[in-house]
Amino acid sequence: MNSISKSSNNGLGVVPSWWRRLLQFFQQLFSRPVSGFGTAITLVFLIVALISPLIAPYGANEIIVADARQPPSNEHWFGTDNLGRDVYSRVLLGSREVLVLAGFGTLFAVLFGTLFGLMTGYQGGWFDEITMRIFDSLLAIPALLLALLLLGTIANSKYSVLLVIVVIYTPIVARVVRSVVLAVKPQGFIETARLGGESRTRILLREILPSVIPTLSVESALRFSYAIFLVASLGFLGVGVQPPSPNWGLMVKEARAYVTLIPWALFFPAAAISLVVIGVNLMADGVKRLMSPDQID
Amino acid sequence: MFEKILFKPKVRNIHFLILIIAFGVLLQACTGEPSTTQEPTAEQERQGVLRIALQPIVQTDPAFISSDPEVLIGSSVYDYLVDITPQNTIAPRLAHDWTVSEDGKSYVFSLIENATFHDGTLLTANDVVWTFDRLRDPQVDSPTKDLYSNIESIAASDQFEVTFTLKESNPFFLYDLSDNHALIVKANTSDPISDFMGTGPFKLVSYNPEDRLIVEANGDYFLRDRPNLERIEFIFFNDQTAQVEALRGGQVDLVLLISTDLYNTIKDEPGLVPLESATNSFDLIRLRADRSPGEDPRLMQALRLATDRQAIFDLVLQGFGAMGKDTPIGPMYSQYFNEDLQIPQRDVVAAKQLLADAGYPDGIRLEMHTPDTGNRPNLAVVLKDQWADAGIDVTVIIEPESVYYGDDVWLDVDLGITGWGSRPYPQFYLDTMLVCDAIWNESHFCDQEFDQLANTAGRTLNEDQRVETYNQIQELLAERGPTLIPYFFSQLGAISDKFSGFQLKPFPGRSDLAAVQLANQ
Repeated sequence: MNSISKSSNNGLGVVPSWWRRLLQFFQQLFSRPVSGFGTAITLVFLIVALISPLIAPYGANEIIVADARQPPSNEHWFGTDNLGRDVYSRVLLGSREVLVLAGFGTLFAVLFGTLFGLMTGYQGGWFDEITMRIFDSLLAIPALLLALLLLGTIANSKYSVLLVIVVIYTPIVARVVRSVVLAVKPQGFIETARLGGESRTRILLREILPSVIPTLSVESALRFSYAIFLVASLGFLGVGVQPPSPNWGLMVKEARAYVTLIPWALFFPAAAISLVVIGVNLMADGVKRLMSPDQID
Repeated sequence: MFEKILFKPKVRNIHFLILIIAFGVLLQACTGEPSTTQEPTAEQERQGVLRIALQPIVQTDPAFISSDPEVLIGSSVYDYLVDITPQNTIAPRLAHDWTVSEDGKSYVFSLIENATFHDGTLLTANDVVWTFDRLRDPQVDSPTKDLYSNIESIAASDQFEVTFTLKESNPFFLYDLSDNHALIVKANTSDPISDFMGTGPFKLVSYNPEDRLIVEANGDYFLRDRPNLERIEFIFFNDQTAQVEALRGGQVDLVLLISTDLYNTIKDEPGLVPLESATNSFDLIRLRADRSPGEDPRLMQALRLATDRQAIFDLVLQGFGAMGKDTPIGPMYSQYFNEDLQIPQRDVVAAKQLLADAGYPDGIRLEMHTPDTGNRPNLAVVLKDQWADAGIDVTVIIEPESVYYGDDVWLDVDLGITGWGSRPYPQFYLDTMLVCDAIWNESHFCDQEFDQLANTAGRTLNEDQRVETYNQIQELLAERGPTLIPYFFSQLGAISDKFSGFQLKPFPGRSDLAAVQLANQ
């Protein structure tokens, strides 16, 4: 197994080093078929989310009366639903809502989680105690229950879903980061930096953060896949999104009523959820192998 | 095994024969003119447990029930003074006979003399007087207080005779007496919410809110051949799909009030009998007429013109029902229905022009609230797509039905979709929905000419004049009413073929469960 720190010279001396390292990272991800498969799926869905408005043949809520309840055909690749909407277009356009909400939710959760994890881990004392007990109490409630609770009390919109993801995943990320910080903190180089008069911010960002990055990458990828599932689950339960949104979970919920007659309207959004969650999970697994090979059994 | 135990002895077959004959006799009695009650026939054994999937109920006090599930439970525990047949005619129930005075202001009812409440006390005229006095008491504040405000007095003229005196004549008074709330409750009941003290064919066994309500046959029911079932379990489900799955899986035997999509999935299922009943139920889209933007009537006109009714009928109802003309008087009321009015055609250009004239040249954004039941979410989604062509950008907000009605959202929001149940005569809609001070005037519509017409139609004893007035009312509403009524829907449901005798009424909550029996095999 290659290690990320091992340098390689591919002759592209002019490109910045972070770009080279990213490329190398993906090369390594693709070197294992399973994680390569997962990464490919994730990338395809991300690209689809980006360009779906350009490639979707119909609008998300475009009703074609004459074509209602049609099975998959050349005209409608995934068929049409009970109201005559093109399922293929809705699945493509739905990727945007699901991945954008899950993506930004994860991003903010990782940012806040890292911030809290670094501060509590390094600072310790009462600040650590209070913050962590609050986070513990949030973690004690199952994620979906907490989500429903929050969405029941705040406005029922997609921004609320974003907020819910951040509230649910920040404590988890914070705990993971904190545990790494606690392991790094007693080491000599931190003490050296502190005695050398480095500011606390500088120590946190320059000395501790780099040690956190490998664990954080794995955690982010995992959180992303859970967040996708959470967005779809909430859509399925009908909270946080309103029809006619093409949220995959909501599509499954709506199609459930007539699944025996129009199974394709349920199959394709359900398959999209499974595929992207599996893809991101396999990718997360690959990232984990690359970042901390010693933890793989 | 199950069948054998139930149907083994040959002697039972005779019981069934008697039962069928009795059922036939009763059916004839119900659809015919008021007549005296049946003589007690042979006491038959009551068999079978019917499990019905329903949306959870909230109200149990008859004076406040409103949803179909509440009325269905209420009408099996209690009885009405007079009942309404599936053909919309009046049939005797606790009153076996009645006379009306010349001027139409005095009604005298003769009560059945062997009806008892579930605690064994005899039903007398006092119970009827107490019930209707309560329903019209402003202190109690039941939704019926306006309906019965025309009653001058109610008196027990004999132990089994009640006299109603009206302030003004009311040709629909017998129908009013059979309003969903008018279930006869035992006089001086201390707690009508939890006592369930009625004379009905079934009596309460247990009630676990949001789980189930169980009733068993009332062995002393005044109709000796009813009920046929031993027991009924009303099982509460929040989710329609779950109800249908439970029916498919055999956990329940009867579902009501299901959407067209769900009906299509079970109508050909073996072991199930599909139920369909043409009704005057409708979903209406209304815009508040008392404040901006709906106070400009051109807005509602634009919404109507932007709507493609044929597409809605094909997509949402899938052919079950009838298209609407924006008035609550549907084709079910054949004699009152205005055949000459045309189904409005879609005209997007005209809709845009009206919007521009009203000051919205670049279109308008609106929030549309709708409950999560029946075909309403589908209707909202189709309307959003159709209206977008005319520059009307709608955000759909789907709420649980209990929130939409319970929190009075429906009486407050600017734009909403509301489902209205089927009633035996059209005056109900005018009086409760459209006159200025109507109790459920959700569109806050107020039009003096309309109020006069509605008053005439509701008071006149001249049938020709009433027909003419209803025609004028429909023309007025089509021209400047606050509602868009795209269709009248059929009520749909399904029952297991293990049972027979169930007849789905236009208002499903009024279906007669006492007539249901195990199917003869």
